[in-house]
Amino acid sequence: MEDKKHTSREYERELQEIREGLLYLGALTERALERGAQALLERNSALAREIIREDEQIDRLDVELEEKCIRLLALRQPAARDLRFITTAIKITGHLERIGDMAANIAEKVIILNDLPQIKPYIDLPRMVEISRAMIRKSLDAMVREDVELAKQVREEDAVIDQLNDQIFRELLTFMMEDPRKIQVCLYIMQISKSLERIADHAEGVADMVTYMITGKSVRHKPASAEHG
Amino acid sequence: MKIRLFHKFLVAFLAIGIAGFATTFFLIEREFKTDLTVRIGDEMAAEARIIALMPAGEIARHAGELAERARARLTLIDAAGRVTADSWLGDRETDDHQNRSEIQEARLRGVGKAVRYSHTLKKEMLYVAIPLREGSRTTGYVRLSRPLAEITLAIGEMSQAVFDIILVIVVAVLLIALLFSLKMIAPIRRLAAFTGKVRTGDVSGALRIESRDEIGQLAENINEMAAALQEKIRKADEEKRKLESLFSGMSEGVMVLDAESRIESVNRGMEEMTGRPRGEVIGKTLLEAFRNIGLHDALERFREGKATVCEEIGLGDDRPVVMDVTISAVRDETGGERHTMLVFHDVTRLKRLERIRTDFVANVTHEIRTPLTAIIGFAETLQQGAFENPETARKFLRTIRENAERLNRLVDDLLTLSGFELGEAKLHLEGIRIEEALDRVLTVVEARAGEKGLTIRKEMAGELPLIRADRDRLAQILINILDNAIKFTPIGGTIAISTSPGEDECLTVRIADTGVGIPKGEIPRLGERFYRADKTRSREPGGTGLGLSIVKHLMMAHGGRVIIDSALGHGTTVSLYFPVFRESK
Repeated sequence: MEDKKHTSREYERELQEIREGLLYLGALTERALERGAQALLERNSALAREIIREDEQIDRLDVELEEKCIRLLALRQPAARDLRFITTAIKITGHLERIGDMAANIAEKVIILNDLPQIKPYIDLPRMVEISRAMIRKSLDAMVREDVELAKQVREEDAVIDQLNDQIFRELLTFMMEDPRKIQVCLYIMQISKSLERIADHAEGVADMVTYMITGKSVRHKPASAEHG
Repeated sequence: MKIRLFHKFLVAFLAIGIAGFATTFFLIEREFKTDLTVRIGDEMAAEARIIALMPAGEIARHAGELAERARARLTLIDAAGRVTADSWLGDRETDDHQNRSEIQEARLRGVGKAVRYSHTLKKEMLYVAIPLREGSRTTGYVRLSRPLAEITLAIGEMSQAVFDIILVIVVAVLLIALLFSLKMIAPIRRLAAFTGKVRTGDVSGALRIESRDEIGQLAENINEMAAALQEKIRKADEEKRKLESLFSGMSEGVMVLDAESRIESVNRGMEEMTGRPRGEVIGKTLLEAFRNIGLHDALERFREGKATVCEEIGLGDDRPVVMDVTISAVRDETGGERHTMLVFHDVTRLKRLERIRTDFVANVTHEIRTPLTAIIGFAETLQQGAFENPETARKFLRTIRENAERLNRLVDDLLTLSGFELGEAKLHLEGIRIEEALDRVLTVVEARAGEKGLTIRKEMAGELPLIRADRDRLAQILINILDNAIKFTPIGGTIAISTSPGEDECLTVRIADTGVGIPKGEIPRLGERFYRADKTRSREPGGTGLGLSIVKHLMMAHGGRVIIDSALGHGTTVSLYFPVFRESK
């Protein structure tokens, strides 16, 4: 009896460890993104290099977390809710790891951009960073609070990111047509914008997984609203 | 169900009572029955002896009469055991009575008794036989017999009486026992009720048991215990309240984590610092509640080293806060570390001041060095021979002069600022018409606005009161603001100036441009010296980076204030609030 109780406590602890791991990973990606924006706005290449270094930590944590999940699956044979939690956790860490990679990509572009003259003040990019960061935060908050509504909000925000991405694309296209010397800068900015758009997609993926984790119903590949399609 | 003490008593008393009653009754009944039988037997024997004195023939003839006198059945039996007469049956009974136990006994001992079931009468009978003697020869037997039912009846009557008496006694005993047990149990019950109350934490009141026995002693002890407990609880409460008011009253944020690293409590300071209400964070882990890498890492470091950790972390999403966090262990009575305490100290303001200072030093040196470098550079070039070319020399000298003037302006601005900060600068306050002041300033800046193709629109409210201001300083304020508006508004933009009477004896001048705008986070920093919202903007030679800082200080010296609103990409509105001039002042 005592032993059984001990085992179940151990199991609870392992589940909590995975949970904490996910949140930590989320916090790291959020910070990477925040610092990315800071590096861009302040033209701070040292900070950008730090983001690239930190991505290694994100990658390592991702591998560790996935191993933990698989070990738990193999050794404890969890059922129902726990099984759903662990399988979705594996997917969420994948999404977060990709977000980390994107943030590192952005940091690389920022380093290049910092050596080139700035063509205009950044307005839409910081907004995209802010929104996509909020999306990551909200999707993980949804997991902590088991709040499906919050996860749904994340899906809706993805539409805003897509719009901003299109807007930046159009704006930069005008710049490039006006002055071919600006093409290099514009292309890097476009890549950053594209990376942010994909970060938002991954954040949406996290939110979908969280929704599935809470409700057991899959919402993937379903439009959140009309404007989304 | 709980078996009460009283019930236990009752059952015990009842059992003892019933057992006593049954035993007594049984013994008495048996004794009585034997005794009665013996006595009736003796009586009958006496009667039989009297009868036996009569000759056999007489007895046989008067059998019925004799039997009636003796209230018994009379049987005359001859020596051979034949029945010669019987008061109830005549001489119908013919079987041999020689072997009947009473006859045998009578023959041997002179009297014989027996209790036997009579087959003739179908009854339990008591028989008493006496031999008839003629000299030493036994000629026959007189036998008297009575149905035992008579005796049984007598015994029944007697035992009924005994039963009644014993029942009364038993009931009386039980009643007494009941009263006794109730009296004994009542104080025990009160003891139980009182201790129960104490267990739930209510230690008020005392037990009142007027008894000098062991229970009284117990009650007294319990009273003393309760009083001691009450005192302890009061002290603990007082201590707790003190700690609680300290906990909630302190401006530092305090957070306590339980053994499983979940947030157990936070104080009000913590709630205010993080903007997260208590209910939202309690029971969660740090990562769940704040998801802050710095905080989590600090806790990890503390867990690894077990030593107090001090760390500076940023917290909060919408409102960035920089905090000093100190993590230490809370030791419990066994010396184990089950709880962890985190104390947060808000150093946002401190950090900001620190940054302003370092920024200021860096900026002022930069601002001074730029013109100095130019001056030194051009002077060196002139030295190395450029002065021989008068055209170049004139150009260089002009640049040197411009840079020297810029240095001069910088020093002037710095002096103005420090003058206001030290409170040395004096304002010559007078009533000024704002339209006049604006018109005067506009003639200065209009040319530059025209160069950039900017439109300046003026919307003046009709009759406006005079404002209380220093004429030159007012011009300085307006020029600084308009200069900024012109600088940051792209070609073809508009600058709108409007005035309106404000509340609280105020007059408002609003200068709105359609410029690049300022990020929301930067607005509070605009008044800092040399602060530039857009760090990448190439410096225009005229600016010293002190303009807004001076405006802020000048407005404060005038008793007014500046409010800046901005939408990134849409423009900035600067609102200047001037106090209205009153003649009496």
